[in-house]
Amino acid sequence: MSARTAKWIFYLGTLISLVLFLGLTVDTHRQVQTLTRADQLDEQVVAGKRVWHKFNCNDCHTILGFGGYYAPDMTKVYWRRGEEGIKAVVREPEKHTTWRKMPRQSVTEQELTALVSFLKWTSDIDTNDWPPQDANLRRTARAAVAMTVSQGATLFKDKGCFACHRLRGTGGTLGPDLTQVGGRLDRPTIERVLENPLSVNPKATMPPAPLSVDERGQMAEFLAGLK
Amino acid sequence: MALIHPSQRVAYPYFVVALGLFVLQVLVGTWLAVNYWASLPQWVVDVFPFSTARAIHTNLLVLWLLLGFMGSTYYLVPDETGRDLYSPGLAYLQLAILAGTGVVGVVGFLFGWTEGKPLLELPRPLDILIVIGALMFLFNVGMTMFRARNWTAIQGSLLGGLLFLALLYLFDLPFYRNLAIDWYYWWWVIHLWVEGAWELVAAAMTAWILLKITGVDRAVVEKWLYVELGLFLFTGIAGTGHHYYWLGAPRYWLWVGGLFSALEPLPIVLMLWDTWHHVKQRRLPIRSRLVFTYALGMAVLHLVGAGVWGFMHTLPQINYYTHGSQVTASHGHLAFFGAYVLLNLMFFYHAMPELKGISRFAERRGQLAFWWMSLAMLGMGLTFGVAGVLQSYIERVMGLGFMTAQAQMRFWFAVTWVLGLILLAGVVLAAVDLLTLRPAPAEEQA
Repeated sequence: MSARTAKWIFYLGTLISLVLFLGLTVDTHRQVQTLTRADQLDEQVVAGKRVWHKFNCNDCHTILGFGGYYAPDMTKVYWRRGEEGIKAVVREPEKHTTWRKMPRQSVTEQELTALVSFLKWTSDIDTNDWPPQDANLRRTARAAVAMTVSQGATLFKDKGCFACHRLRGTGGTLGPDLTQVGGRLDRPTIERVLENPLSVNPKATMPPAPLSVDERGQMAEFLAGLK
Repeated sequence: MALIHPSQRVAYPYFVVALGLFVLQVLVGTWLAVNYWASLPQWVVDVFPFSTARAIHTNLLVLWLLLGFMGSTYYLVPDETGRDLYSPGLAYLQLAILAGTGVVGVVGFLFGWTEGKPLLELPRPLDILIVIGALMFLFNVGMTMFRARNWTAIQGSLLGGLLFLALLYLFDLPFYRNLAIDWYYWWWVIHLWVEGAWELVAAAMTAWILLKITGVDRAVVEKWLYVELGLFLFTGIAGTGHHYYWLGAPRYWLWVGGLFSALEPLPIVLMLWDTWHHVKQRRLPIRSRLVFTYALGMAVLHLVGAGVWGFMHTLPQINYYTHGSQVTASHGHLAFFGAYVLLNLMFFYHAMPELKGISRFAERRGQLAFWWMSLAMLGMGLTFGVAGVLQSYIERVMGLGFMTAQAQMRFWFAVTWVLGLILLAGVVLAAVDLLTLRPAPAEEQA
């Protein structure tokens, strides 16, 4: 190979790749508006993004798969845990972690609400079905909408119960399948489990459900009806 | 043996600071490994969380590698242009600014002063100081080259790479409202640094060292330099697409990223072949076996860590399951070590004896340190890799929870920690060795 050919390889190789890359960047900017639902990106979401940066969440957690690999990915956390679920963990991380812990931070309620808006917006980004473990939540989310006939069912979806429990084949596998829970436990027992899981099962790893007294009743009624 | 160009001495304090930061970086790394396998008390986590330690670990890495590149450049440029540096004083001032920024940055992280973007956590005022330091550096190097008017491909690659590096950093400065766009341009800094700008600098430094230690024709070395750079940039620029698979960008990135990054090992294979070839064809007597050990070790581990690991991890079909898992950590550690850590240490071992006026130095400690570091890092690549495959399978394929997977990986994190301690010992040994080089005993001199 002559020195001349070598130089041509350098100039052509660089130029072709650069032109392709910049061209696709322009097109990506056009499409990303739809793919990330940029119309939903309001000031509250941006405020939440600033909270996300302020507490350096991203050096333990990943989001869109980027960041520290020390703690769970947050891309679809809104689907997994819902608004109250996220807030409960950030308020009192020590109650929701075991051997690997999350630091307690002085996050204000206002910041927390903004953070949830940010994570809600993030969960709707079209990520080509990534991450794989949350792909079934897409179906769950749709199924849950169809189930919105009782208050209890709505709560089941919004409080993040699907993160650990399954209903008719969708949801997490950490906790027991609840498809027929009404056949095993009666309504008062279910209420006791929701208030303090350890009172019914001393080995339970489930945290107390973040519910008001009324909500607990509605949720127990919904679950007791599943037979 | 005196230096022909006195201004090359500027490199020395750069090397010293870089080595100190390197030791600190690896020390913090071993603490990160403890976080992975041990269960720490809540108060420790509250005071010194993993996130803070990780920010320190990664920022120290970037800072010491950059200071190493800068010191090496200051050493290389007078020799290559045949002219002393434009301003040694400016170079010292630049080191003070950059090292000072680093110290303030690390202390700031401990108190929660952060921009909260992984690897680019430095807050805005410190970013501006970094940019000022980079501009001083470019000015000094550029002026030296322009005044000498003795252009070579090595100078062009070096100056081009450094300019590209500084320009890309500017994409870190704006606040992006859209998270997807934020990460899109984050990769312009991170990916286009390590698989673009830094490769230009690395290729120039390697070519120069090979010229110096083998005495092979400059025309031959520079010809291969052009081909390598062409392939690096051809595959590397569009290869940025392998980071755009799952962040909310269009689907065609799966094709573009997948195809271009599948070609990314090519220039690295060429670099290995080319290094091997030049070493075989050398015309000069070997003055330091250790520099050769580093040159070949770098070429091999660069290929394993960046080439082979990178190739597998960036195939979209695999990346769907391994993205953002410990597989990434495995690839990151091996690639940085193979491509850039060994490069800097090779350069230090080439330049330090000359800076200290030693013609041949005692190499036993240096060889020992090289093998400790390289084997420990290779081992860590494997343990991170095993942990990552377990994670991909348990968490992503089986769909069990994040912590369920982490519990199964705990043993491998403990092994990683032990290997990290061996790595730390090797790094301390290399740093001490470089700072206290002694002439070889008389019988080896012959």
